[in-house]
Amino acid sequence: MSYAYLFKYIIIGDTGVGKSCLLLQFTDKRFQPVHDLTIGVEFGARMITIDNKPIKLQIWDTAGQESFRSITRSYYRGAAGALLVYDITRRETFNHLASWLEDARQHANANMTVMLIGNKCDLSHRRAVSYEEGEQFAKEHGLVFMEASAKTAQNVEEAFIKTAGTIYKKIQDGVFDVSNESYGIKVGYAVPNTSGGGAGSSSQGGGCCS
Amino acid sequence: MRGEEAAAAEARCPRSPELHDLSDDSDYAAAAAASSNHTVMRSDLADKGSVETARVDVVYEKEGVTIHPMQYGSGRISGILRLYLQQGSLFLSWEPNEEVDSFSTSSVTMEIEKYRNLYTVKGLPLSDVRFIRKHSPAFNIGVEYIIIVLSSGLAYPPFYFYNSGLRELFASLKKHVFIIRSDDDPNVFLVNDFQDPLQKSLSSLELPGVASVANAMSRQNSFSFTGSVDEARHVTPSSMTEYVSKQKHKSNDPGRDLSIQVLEKFSLVTKFARDTTSSLFRENHNIGARTYGRQQQKHVLDNRANDKYTDHPITPDKGSLPSDSIESDNLPLVWGKQRDNPLSVEEWSNFLDPEGRVMDSKALRKKVFYGGVDHVLRKEVWKFLLGYHEYDSTYAEREYLAVVKRAEYEAIKSQWKSISPTQAKRFTKFRERKGLIDKDVVRTDRSVPYYEGDDNQNVVVLRDILLTYSFYNFDLGYCQGMSDFLAPILYVMEDEPESFWCFTILMERLGANFNRDQSGMHAQLLALSKLVELLDPPLHNYFRQNDCLNYFFCFRWVLIQFKREFSFDQIMLLWEVLWTHYLSEHFHLYLCIAILKRYRSRIIGEQMDFDTLLKFINELSGQINLDRALQDAEALCSVAGDNGAACIPPGTPPSMPIETDGGLYVQEDEVL
Repeated sequence: MSYAYLFKYIIIGDTGVGKSCLLLQFTDKRFQPVHDLTIGVEFGARMITIDNKPIKLQIWDTAGQESFRSITRSYYRGAAGALLVYDITRRETFNHLASWLEDARQHANANMTVMLIGNKCDLSHRRAVSYEEGEQFAKEHGLVFMEASAKTAQNVEEAFIKTAGTIYKKIQDGVFDVSNESYGIKVGYAVPNTSGGGAGSSSQGGGCCS
Repeated sequence: MRGEEAAAAEARCPRSPELHDLSDDSDYAAAAAASSNHTVMRSDLADKGSVETARVDVVYEKEGVTIHPMQYGSGRISGILRLYLQQGSLFLSWEPNEEVDSFSTSSVTMEIEKYRNLYTVKGLPLSDVRFIRKHSPAFNIGVEYIIIVLSSGLAYPPFYFYNSGLRELFASLKKHVFIIRSDDDPNVFLVNDFQDPLQKSLSSLELPGVASVANAMSRQNSFSFTGSVDEARHVTPSSMTEYVSKQKHKSNDPGRDLSIQVLEKFSLVTKFARDTTSSLFRENHNIGARTYGRQQQKHVLDNRANDKYTDHPITPDKGSLPSDSIESDNLPLVWGKQRDNPLSVEEWSNFLDPEGRVMDSKALRKKVFYGGVDHVLRKEVWKFLLGYHEYDSTYAEREYLAVVKRAEYEAIKSQWKSISPTQAKRFTKFRERKGLIDKDVVRTDRSVPYYEGDDNQNVVVLRDILLTYSFYNFDLGYCQGMSDFLAPILYVMEDEPESFWCFTILMERLGANFNRDQSGMHAQLLALSKLVELLDPPLHNYFRQNDCLNYFFCFRWVLIQFKREFSFDQIMLLWEVLWTHYLSEHFHLYLCIAILKRYRSRIIGEQMDFDTLLKFINELSGQINLDRALQDAEALCSVAGDNGAACIPPGTPPSMPIETDGGLYVQEDEVL
């Protein structure tokens, strides 16, 4: 199955906030609490449809521990979207958002779409960060915001797809030159030349990004 | 048929007197004389998997070309060496004779039979050859032989020319590929060595740099920028020769120094060649066809699964799918010693004197390096390998040490055990560390039965050891990846204090992997980069051109020493091999190179960029043949020798850190 576009996503945030679980819930529609902690980076992929066009999301799931920041920074290059995740039951993961955002701003493309996700909303009885605080932070920093649960799958699908929708709209608005892969977008064969005419040349890379 | 061919070959390649000077002109003349009567035959030499029966032109053939597979001088396998042209490219093949050489005794014969097929060279494209070294014996005593070294830096066993024919071989080679004598060593012939910038651009027009005579001539024509194609066809042999010798003098060959350095180690490799019972040669040798067809196969290979998310723009012809694994580069390259059996209980007892001292620790480390350790012995032997026990300690001393260390462990553990909830409230760093460790131990090797299931007590022990360690070494603290190192140790030791001390000693060497400034990791990745530059310059250049020289794609390999790339059982074997420090303290870096080399033609052929490469390397997890990688790494490590060691600065983990006054671990404030 071919795709019209491939978007590179990166998932960032403190260790243990549920980045890998969000990814697994999105790609495999299951919740697996027992999995190995992420060292370096792991990959996932899924096809979605926006505006009747097949779009492939290639998702980079990064290690969250502070020590690995210097290597995580090298993964930002060429990401079209980022999911910045915190854990609503652990205040400190919310407090660290600004430093994550600073990393993203410094090392990613300026047009990268960032979605803020307050994960583990199924544990609202242990909530340490209110919905409003999350919303406020997102508003201040120009992010899209959602609370989600990798465990119950609530809003997981929506978070990934809404981010893709935002990126797609940026393409339609001409914000991205899709022939330039540093924006984290590759053009597949399925779409007739839209902007930039990159279909033929950029699709080459699509073959190895299963 | 075979007999006739042999006779014809003999006629084409008359025995020649010993040659010391292989003059370009005379070689060319010899080849020109032979060229008029190429043998044409059906493609029984070609890839059996190939559907079409492509026409094969044999341009050189010699019987009695022999390899010596074992240390027994009498063990020989004699065979036929051929050069042939197929679809414009030159290939080399060597096939053993049906009968074992009569020099062999019957017991040796049996041994040799096993290796017969291992050494067959089916179709080596000359484009994969980096250079050929000719060894002419002094004073004409002995037999001439050649060693063929591939662009990956690894080598075939020596081919001995018992019936002469070496001169004609080089003559034929010169005629069909670009080959020049190294300025530094007259016995080294560089193949496809287009270092001149203009020459480079020309060669890129006709990759893979191997051409038929006609192609070579038209290339010559474009080089001189004269006349038409017609004229090119009339380029005379002597002008061709002139051009070749000009190139020889022009060549500045930056890779040459390396070649020579590598060759300095070649006596060693040759020794391996005699010792080895390498199984590598049973692999498919038709890498040439794969390499050239790879661009076309790329989509096919990637598409092997019935992936519902398959996204390849081109629908491949499923019928042409190769069914092999992801590890498609079965390069028949390596001369590492075959893996040995694990150290057995009986062997182990022979290493010990009556009071329990290890009498010959070097021999022990060598044994473990080549074969690992029987699992029942790991609990005992790992303590020596890690350095927890001295090799010259006695049973009694070790028992005493266990008692002392147990008490010492409990004392350190009590430091955090005694922290009350009230105190913890005022001790953020402790809470954070404990929280992090609590989160990580339940995400470590939980699929291994020893750690699986809810409320597993072993997981609690993991937690306690890591937390105790973070107090013992408060400066370093806890970092993700440590639990990966500890889990196999605890599994083997089944004892909390002993696991702690073994882990602690391991961290003396590898703690720098977890430095907050990543200095330990950067040092290793830099050393890795230098080693690849030494051992595989084309791959190094590829990484340089594609902005991959930070080697972050090997980050996980190095950080936790391949823990996530192999099964739990395999990792115990790999680590005990690494811990011997037998050939090098940094053997893991050679292992990185061995694996990268296995996949180099895919990496380069598919023009992987940083992202693609990272993903590709990640997905090799579980796909790597450990024994073969170890064998490859051993050969690389031996070939690199002192030059390899010189690439690795002192203090690079897992070497012991260089102590400074300010403590072992330079850390910023916010350590968890």
